[in-house]
This record gives sequence, structure tokens and C-alpha cells, in this order.
Amino acid sequence: MSDIILALRNATKLYAGVPAIENVDFELRRGEIHALVGENGAGKSTLTKVMAGVVSLTSGTMQVNGADVAPRTPLEARYLGIAMVFQENSLVPTMTVAQNLFLGQERFYNRLRGIYIAAQQFLQSLNFDVTPTATVELLGAAKKQMVEIARAVLHEAKVIIFDEPTATLTPEEKKYFFDLVRDLKRRGVSIVFISHALEEALILADRITILRDGKHVVTDDAAKFDRARIVQAMVGRDLSNTLYGTRKTTVRAAGARVLTVQNLKMAPMVRNNSLSVFAGQITGVFGLVGAGRTETFKVVAGVLKRDFFHGGEVILHDQPVRYRVPAPAVRAGIAYVTEDRKVEGFFETMSVARNIYLGLLAKLPGGRFFLSGREADKVGKTWVEKLRVRTTGNAMKVVELSGGNQQKVVIAKSLVQEPDLIIFDEPTRGVDVGAIVEIHELIQRLADEGKAVVVISSYLPEIMALSDRILVSRQGKVVEEFSALEATEEKIMYAAVH
Amino acid sequence: MIAALKGFAERFLGRGDATITVPSFDGALKPNQILEKAETIAQFDAPEDLATDGKVLYLADGATILRLDGAAATEVRRFDRVITALCCLPDGGIAVALDGREVQVFATPSASLVTATVSDPSFNAINALAPGPPGTLVATDGSTARPYPQWAHDLMERGRTGRVLSIDVASGRVRTIASGLHYAFGVCAAGDSLLVSESWRHRIIGIAPDGSQRSVLDNLPVYPSRLSPAASGGFWLTAFAARTQLIEFVLRENAYRRRMMNEIDPAYWIAPKLKSGQSFLEPMQGAHIKTMGVVKPWAPPRSYGLVIRLNAEGMPLYALHSRVDGVNHGVVAAVELDGSLYALAKGPGRLLRTVLTAAEQELRI
Repeated sequence: MSDIILALRNATKLYAGVPAIENVDFELRRGEIHALVGENGAGKSTLTKVMAGVVSLTSGTMQVNGADVAPRTPLEARYLGIAMVFQENSLVPTMTVAQNLFLGQERFYNRLRGIYIAAQQFLQSLNFDVTPTATVELLGAAKKQMVEIARAVLHEAKVIIFDEPTATLTPEEKKYFFDLVRDLKRRGVSIVFISHALEEALILADRITILRDGKHVVTDDAAKFDRARIVQAMVGRDLSNTLYGTRKTTVRAAGARVLTVQNLKMAPMVRNNSLSVFAGQITGVFGLVGAGRTETFKVVAGVLKRDFFHGGEVILHDQPVRYRVPAPAVRAGIAYVTEDRKVEGFFETMSVARNIYLGLLAKLPGGRFFLSGREADKVGKTWVEKLRVRTTGNAMKVVELSGGNQQKVVIAKSLVQEPDLIIFDEPTRGVDVGAIVEIHELIQRLADEGKAVVVISSYLPEIMALSDRILVSRQGKVVEEFSALEATEEKIMYAAVH
Repeated sequence: MIAALKGFAERFLGRGDATITVPSFDGALKPNQILEKAETIAQFDAPEDLATDGKVLYLADGATILRLDGAAATEVRRFDRVITALCCLPDGGIAVALDGREVQVFATPSASLVTATVSDPSFNAINALAPGPPGTLVATDGSTARPYPQWAHDLMERGRTGRVLSIDVASGRVRTIASGLHYAFGVCAAGDSLLVSESWRHRIIGIAPDGSQRSVLDNLPVYPSRLSPAASGGFWLTAFAARTQLIEFVLRENAYRRRMMNEIDPAYWIAPKLKSGQSFLEPMQGAHIKTMGVVKPWAPPRSYGLVIRLNAEGMPLYALHSRVDGVNHGVVAAVELDGSLYALAKGPGRLLRTVLTAAEQELRI
């Protein structure tokens, strides 16, 4: 029997023509713990979803025990002995542990007591300290994960895939989780796990695979890696021929302090976060998934609420503020340009002009009783010209625009409010290269005009190309600040994962 | 009644006045170790203040004024009381505050006779002096309730009796420019206005000739102290300790604070210090957390060293730090001379020198 239990050859997955992974080769050995490491958008989740049958490959092959397979559903993958434990666990919260374990394996007549006894015996055999009669929603994160793992083992999974398994665990729970994984390994189960915490990969894994921009970079024994080598492999791009190719040689001086966030808490994502934003500067905020960047600025903009008790302070222009909804934040001069434009950014069946006009209405206290179509057209036309939105006319629906032009509409909707503080969350995600250049120019122009600009981005070259100062966020708080002049990709990534 | 309920609700929810937060060291205040790495020129027993006439550096050490030529210190004059403030005057004279209760002016640093002595009965904790309009001095009197060495008592009592005074040297007349300040500690002329450090409110205020006040730099993460002019315009602001959530919390717990003041030796209060880490009896210094099986030291800083470079408008440009793990803490005075910044770290008693071009190069300014 071959040593390789699962293999992917030339695996490519395209989403709307854009490759999430491209010609990736991956091999998983029997009974090994294999860590997948990479930045946001490196293709880790897509790769594991292919293995687990959540998505199918566009091209390339997948083999289990040497035989070509193409699981189209998680159920098919489960029959092949592959189970995935997602970051957001897939348990039914209102059901008991035992019911969740046997979900999908019910018989015609289920004796509840029998299920509990079987579950008890099974959990004991795994040495898992979980009560089978407990309702899942009442369990802590670690115990929920144990149930997920137990379910995977119960289904006789030979390959278990974990997506960010330790993100929600406490240090004690992490230690226990590591013991569990090692125990599974002893039972001959192969483990694939995605982690942003490099220590975990180095401590736990037998081998490490690093992905970057959807491509395979390197696979090697964990013993041959150290932190520096991993970080180098994660970020080592050649940008010389791209729009991010030139380094900043000057930075803008900070103006007055516009925003101060002090000890902000929004469990579990934002943990005692403190930062300042200054006028006339672009403040870049970088972090990996779960770093709490978006949540922090959504609290600032009134989209999310901070903790009810001791939630910290947001100080705008030296005045403490607490917005329960976005409208007063908009009136106070804060604009938040969302990362998810399709859901939060615009009304896709409304015209470009009306969408932009909505931004203006949001700033008016109490809205406006009579709406003026003429004013909407005028405002729309002005901003379409200012931001060079490519439309066939003001009446064109936003859904008919390209991604880049849709993003410009979302930005125009915010800029029409004449904000002092503009927060761009992933401003160029899903945007074509031409529009990226235009959006970057616009962001630079806003800072030159003296506005306080925040750019949240998961793409390091973008952060480095735009920012005057760079804040690195990790586990819910800003952990490091760099001037654009001193920052390197390695330094930033090191701070983000350390 | 409503105010009492509001106060209770705020304390319960941790909001409003009961919010226990501190701003971060970021932007121009981004941490570095430049002050910690600064050259130690000399060490003294009880250094208090620095002054320069543009040519020579003077240092107040206990009851003596020293003239510094490199590392060599020459005694210029000695008093019978400790010096709490020192400044050089534009006409070549020098002014000193003695024990916080008396101001003496000399025509030259080594003049045998005193030119003027001002000992207004209201003087209590004069902690900084600066030249004012011709023939006058401006002074900050930190507190009318506590003497200068008991500044921590004043903080724990939430003192707000600080004053800014104008002293007419010839007549000895004293005029109060501002009062009710939360510990005034440092003053410097800025055009026809004054910049004043208000330590317990963590801010710098500007006082116009008509006496109106405005906040110049607010919500600092430190307790600001003395100010001095920078050679190329702007100012140097020192800070003798950093704010922490722990101390902010103690400052809101009145009963706890009263009991601490009654029962605990002031050396071990949960209060800002000029130096720390000297004793295991100090609160929280031995605290730690265990992460991934590794015990990591953790303790809120009780002392810190910081000098902030301000521009002419009082906005910070950059800062020189001695961080929590350093020793050059409790910085109470800094003056610029011949392209170098001399800072007085009162905690270890060190006079430090930093070459500004090198520091600015390191900070890439």
C-alpha cells in the first residue's frame, strides 16, 4: 500500500474565471500531521474544500489511496474517509452531543437512551470529557470542537481537515487540542490543518506546505522550517513588474488626531484594542483572518456595537462618541466603505445616481420628506464624472456595472457625505487592475486633501503601496506600528503571525 | 439624585467618567529605545531640573547648582534648601525655586548676591520656571495642597489646585494667570502665549495673554512635565510616567484609594513612579500569565521615560522613549544644546545625551 493517502495533482479551481488555486500539487501521507500555511487569499481554504468535497476542481486530479476520485459533496468525501472540521462548526446547536454525533446515521427507530449509551462509550474510548446529553449550544468552543472531531472519527475518517482549529480556543484548550490531534495521529488518522499561528504549525506538524496567491510555494518537513523561512515563503513575491513595484520614499506628516480608539472590546473579535488615526495620512491596517480589524472600525462607524460592559472608548475629534447605528456616525463625518459591497454596499437594482443620492440622504438628520429626482441625477452625474465611473448613463443599474465601477459607486456614496474620516475596508477586492489604479489614486488624493484615511487590507503589497503608517493587527488588537519607510513585507507578516 | 444614579450606572457599565481606558503610544509617540540607549553623561544623587543659556548647561542637584562641561560638573552655588526649579534668563541671569516656596534670581549664575527674592506665602510647590515678558518670570505651582515631593499624594487625592503664576522680579509682585489646574508642571513661552503642562489631565494647555485657556494637546498616554524651547522652533516636552489602566482604575476607586493612602507605605502605592522594579513588594511587578505552557512576565508599567518633540503649534512630531524594561525613567527635564538633547532621568539620577541628527536619522525624519 502506498504511503500517500491523499494527493492532488495540478489542482486548479477558478471562481468566475479567477484562480483561487492554480496547478497545486499536494500529498498527504498516512498518519501525518500536515500544516497548510499562507496569507489570506493564498488558497488554503479552497484547497481543503476541494479535498472535503465542498467545491469541485476546475482542472486537475485528486487521488485517495491511489485511485482517482472527484467528490462532489461532503457526503461523498465522507464515504472516501475524508472529514472536515470547519472554523464555524457545523453542529446543530439545539441538539444534544449524542444527537449531533449520530446525525445523518439515524435508523428507522431510534432509541434515545441507546444513542446516549453508544455516544458515552464512544467518547470515553476517545478519552473526550464531554457529556453526551449536553446541548451543544451550552458547550465551550473546545468541547464543540471535540464533538466535531468525535463525529469525524465515528464516521471512520482517515483524513481529518481542520480549518483554523485553534482560533477560538483558550491557551489551555489549545494544549488539550494538540494532545487530541497527536492521539488521532497515533490511531493512524492523517490530519490537515490550516493555521495562522506559525508556532502551532512548527510545534504540531510533521510537514508544512506553504501557499501564496493560489500557488504552491514549498512543502517540507516541519523540522527544516523556522519562523523566518515560513514568513519569507509566505510573502516573497516579485512585484517589480506590477503596480505595487515601487516603494514609498516619502510619507505624509501626521495632522491632528482625528480618531482615538482606547481599549475597545467586542468579544470575541476585538480585545482591548487601541489605536489613533491622524488627518492628512493614510493609515493602513493589516492583519490575518480573525485579527479584528473590520470589527474595530465597524464599531467606530456604528455598524457594530462594542461590549456593553467596559467596552472601551472611541474618541472622535477629542470627544467620546458611542454610535448605536451608523446614521449619527455618518453625520459626525465618518464614512465606512464596506468590504462586502454586494451585501452592504449598494442596492443593486437601483440606478447609479439613486445609490449615490442615498449616501447624501443618510447624512441628513431624519432623512428628507420629499425626494428630488433632479437632485439625485445632478449628484449622481457629478460623482460619476469625479470618480470616472464607466456607465452608459445615470439610470444604469449598479448590478450592470463591472466590479471596479460598482466599488466606485460605493465609494462615491460615502464621499458625497463629505466625511473627515474615511475607512476603506478591502477597497480593491474583486476589482480589475485598471480600477485598482484609479481607486488607489483616489485614496491618495483624499489624504492629500487632509482627510484621515484608513485602509484595511489583507493584501500586503496594497497596504505597503498606499499607507503612510501601517498598523498590524493580531488576535483582536493592534500589536505593531510601522512607518511606510521602514516597513517590509517580512516585518509586517512577522508581526501579524508572531 | 439623577447625578447619583448616572454615576452609579456609569460605574456599573464602565462608561462616561468611569471609563478606564488609556490611549496608545502610536503615531508620533510610536515607541523606540532612543532614550534608553542615550549616552549617560553623569549620575547624580538628587537631580531635579536642567537649564541652558545657549552656551552652558546647568543642573540642579539637591541644593546645588552645577555647571556641566562634558561629564565634569562644577558647583556654581549652594543653597540651604533643595532646588525644585531652575531656569536661565535672557539677560544672563539665573532663577531658582527653593523647596517650592521661594524664588531667587541672580544676575549671573555665579553672582555672589541675590538680585531678587520672592517668597509669596501662597507658594507651595513651584516646580518649573520660565522667562516671561521682560522683567518677569512665569512659574507653575503644582499644588497648593501638597509640597512638591508629595506629588503622588496630590494625584491620589485628585488634586486640582495647580496654578500658573507671573512673578515681577523687581517688585516681587505675584499675579495668578491660571488656577484650578490638575497639577501644573512645566511652562514655556510660545509667542505671546504660554504653554503649560497639566499633568493629571494628561494635556498641554495654551494660555493667551487675556488669560483664556485652550487645549493644545489632549489625551496624552503619559503624565506630562516640564517644557523647553527647541532650537529649530517648537518645544521639548518631558513625561515622567506613563498612564496605565490599573492606575486609572485606582483613581476611580475612592474608598480603595483612601485606604491605600492610610495603610500602605507610599513607596508601594499603586501610583506612577519615577523608577520601578526595585522591590518584590511593588504591586503587580511579579504578575505573569501562562500561555501555551510558557510563563510570560506581565506587569503594567509603573515608570516610564519619554521626551516628546512638539512643533510650534504644540503637535507632536516624534518621541524618544525608555520603555518599560528600561531604566532611564522619570524624565522631568530636557533642554537642547549644540545639536544634542540633554534629558534628566530622575528615576536613576542620570543626565542623558542624545545627538539629535542621529536620533532623527534613526526615526527616519
